[in-house]
Amino acid sequence: MNFPKTAFLVAASVLFVVALPCAVLAQGADEQMLLHPPSDSWPGYHGDYSGRRHSSLTQITPQNVKNLALAWVFQTDQLAPIKSSPLLVNGILYFTVPENIWAVDARSGHQIWHYTHPRSQGEHIGHRGVAMYKGYLFFVTPDAHLVSLNANNGTVRWTVQVADVTKGYWTSMAPLIVGKHVLVGVSGDFDNLSGYLRSIDPETGATQWQWDSTSPAGTPNQTTGGMTWMTGTYDPDLNLVYWGTGNPTPVLNGSTRPGDDLYTCSIVALNPDTGKLVWSFQVSPHDTHDWDAVETPVLVDADFHGEPKKMLMQTSRNGYFFVLDRTNGKNLLTAPYGPVNWTLGVDGQGRPIPNPAKEPAPDGRLIAPDEGGLTNYRSPSFDTKNGLFIVDAHPSWSVYFAKPADGVYGWAGADYDVWGKGVIEAIDYQTGKIRWSHEVGPESGAGVLTTDSGLTFTGDGHGNFLALDSNNGKTLWHSGSGAHIVSSPTTYELDGRQYVLTSSGGILFAWALPQAD
Amino acid sequence: MKSFRSVLHWNVRLAASLLAGLAVSSAQTTPAQKPASSPPAGGQPSAKVAFKTYPPNLVQSGGALFRQDCSFCHGRDAGGGESGPDLTRSKLVAADVDGDKIGGVVRNGRPDKGMPRFNYSEQQIAGLMAFIHTQQRNALTRKGGRKGVDVSDLQTGNVEAGKQYFEGAGGCSTCHSPTGDLAGIASRYSGLGLEIQMLYPQHAKTKVSVTLASGQTVAGTLAYHDEFTVALIDATETYRSWRVGDVQYKIDAPVEAHVEQFSKYTDADVHNLMAYLQTLR
Repeated sequence: MNFPKTAFLVAASVLFVVALPCAVLAQGADEQMLLHPPSDSWPGYHGDYSGRRHSSLTQITPQNVKNLALAWVFQTDQLAPIKSSPLLVNGILYFTVPENIWAVDARSGHQIWHYTHPRSQGEHIGHRGVAMYKGYLFFVTPDAHLVSLNANNGTVRWTVQVADVTKGYWTSMAPLIVGKHVLVGVSGDFDNLSGYLRSIDPETGATQWQWDSTSPAGTPNQTTGGMTWMTGTYDPDLNLVYWGTGNPTPVLNGSTRPGDDLYTCSIVALNPDTGKLVWSFQVSPHDTHDWDAVETPVLVDADFHGEPKKMLMQTSRNGYFFVLDRTNGKNLLTAPYGPVNWTLGVDGQGRPIPNPAKEPAPDGRLIAPDEGGLTNYRSPSFDTKNGLFIVDAHPSWSVYFAKPADGVYGWAGADYDVWGKGVIEAIDYQTGKIRWSHEVGPESGAGVLTTDSGLTFTGDGHGNFLALDSNNGKTLWHSGSGAHIVSSPTTYELDGRQYVLTSSGGILFAWALPQAD
Repeated sequence: MKSFRSVLHWNVRLAASLLAGLAVSSAQTTPAQKPASSPPAGGQPSAKVAFKTYPPNLVQSGGALFRQDCSFCHGRDAGGGESGPDLTRSKLVAADVDGDKIGGVVRNGRPDKGMPRFNYSEQQIAGLMAFIHTQQRNALTRKGGRKGVDVSDLQTGNVEAGKQYFEGAGGCSTCHSPTGDLAGIASRYSGLGLEIQMLYPQHAKTKVSVTLASGQTVAGTLAYHDEFTVALIDATETYRSWRVGDVQYKIDAPVEAHVEQFSKYTDADVHNLMAYLQTLR
């Protein structure tokens, strides 16, 4: 497991010597770049607006990937693992852990600047990265503030509060830039709090609109929750933003929130200019298992059963793969992609019907999947070439408990994982059938990236980075990293050289084919 | 909601409960490795523990740190959150004296259970310890209103039905015997610890036999396995590992039969089986 880190350092030092630190001035991510990211950029959390994490780059192929080698490494020297997807704009990478941002030369791994935010209140549970609008970065903090910085030197422009940390909110997500809007979501599960998505003016920090997923706390018979802690996607033609919402609260006890608990555990389509809800689809009505529906709503334009469709796909934490018509939210397919035992089937709208007998109980209920779900925040990828939705799945079983003494506030119960494993699954989006699967040991936190050359980059539960053949899931390349992987790979091309960027622990690794010279 | 969880999964997070985890590890370690104090599995820390009082400012600073770095998993009141155990019921906390046990866990993490390590100063550890002990005292001296699973919660099954399931439909008796490996199991585990162990034995030993290129065969307990490396602990307690392409190997993991069983259980089966196992004292 201890991949020789010293070797990495030596390799990196050599590169520092030979590669000129690139003095490119930080320029902005303009609207055209966000709408059509060039191959030498990764200007948003998902790369482009679709959430597919599929790259058209083909320099690294199934044939030559075995030669993939380190171009450079960057050590954050932090215990907090990198969970963010680095942005790449004009040759500079921007990535984060809680209360830290680094700007690093994408060609060399050389640090350009490092911003540290004062230690703040709130959960320091993870951080998914920054967003960029023109020459400005947007960064959320554990105490639920949005900080805007100048990308060229990491100086702060302004800071605004997004939510009240003293009530139990925090923030960890990478904001989404749409037009002249910075969309920021919130976290908070240990209190009965209303979830919302807020649109903030990138120039001034003023709030433009706020969409509330649930009613204010204390509203009789209404749920709270529905947090918005992952980055959504955007269809510029339909001018709709797609966002997943989190679980209801109290989490494991649904007695005070009868009914479906809208809009928790839902995929919602919002108008980014007004914040108005256009449609919604609830993947887990009346959830009592903490299964947020915040997993990436992936946008795909392709044929579905012979008809061209604008689709939205999600491998949801509750164990089901959903395909929706994203123009109107109508369901096209609902299919489990691993063990699921909490439903009575699927209703006429394609929504799973929760089995009341599988709600948490005083003597325990055996439930699949576990609370972490059949997948979680790690990004899936849609391989446009093979028509495969590839996800890092987690088949698992657990026991859920809740009793009156646990109350109706916050968690309101207890659950215990019994068993689980990690499997990379390639799902045929037209049928939900699993075309191939690749076991990765214990649960892996690695996301998935696919490329047009037929490669799937991901990681296993032991800390190995993997390149798989997208056609059959066979391993073509690997490298041990020495720590658990909790991030999703990205790729870009600079000066004609394709890089694949991965991270584990507090280290960022840039991989490329060896250069002839 | 959970954004941190997978960090906590360095390995499969089999027993989320420290309660269960401690019970299992104390019961399964070899005598030589056995901790000095090895409380019986399940149940609550002894109420006889004399509680120490800590300076309010120390508790307060520890509480602030706890809310930033610990509360996501362990709950803001230390009573259990997403994936982490209820520390107010932790026997490790009960056995801790001024941070002598808590400090080590915090600094080293619990990689096998997915807990990361934290690089804190002595003063920060002292604050955390003071906060956690204070929360445990508050919880143990207060009736009701707490999360957690009591032994009494797990008594809804039927012993006879559980015995029938064990011998019949469950297929348990194919591998297990109430007078053999399971004799006295209910004395070694109780409550949730016993139930988790019943559903999927934690730390079950898996055997592996590795044939080297020379033709020599090495047998032992599987210590590590991914698609590139296989490792075992051999008869001399030595860790040995090979690249999988260099050897042939065969893994014998009878514990995997428990995975097959998950989709077959009804909840009543689980409760009945639990009732039956609790008679094996």
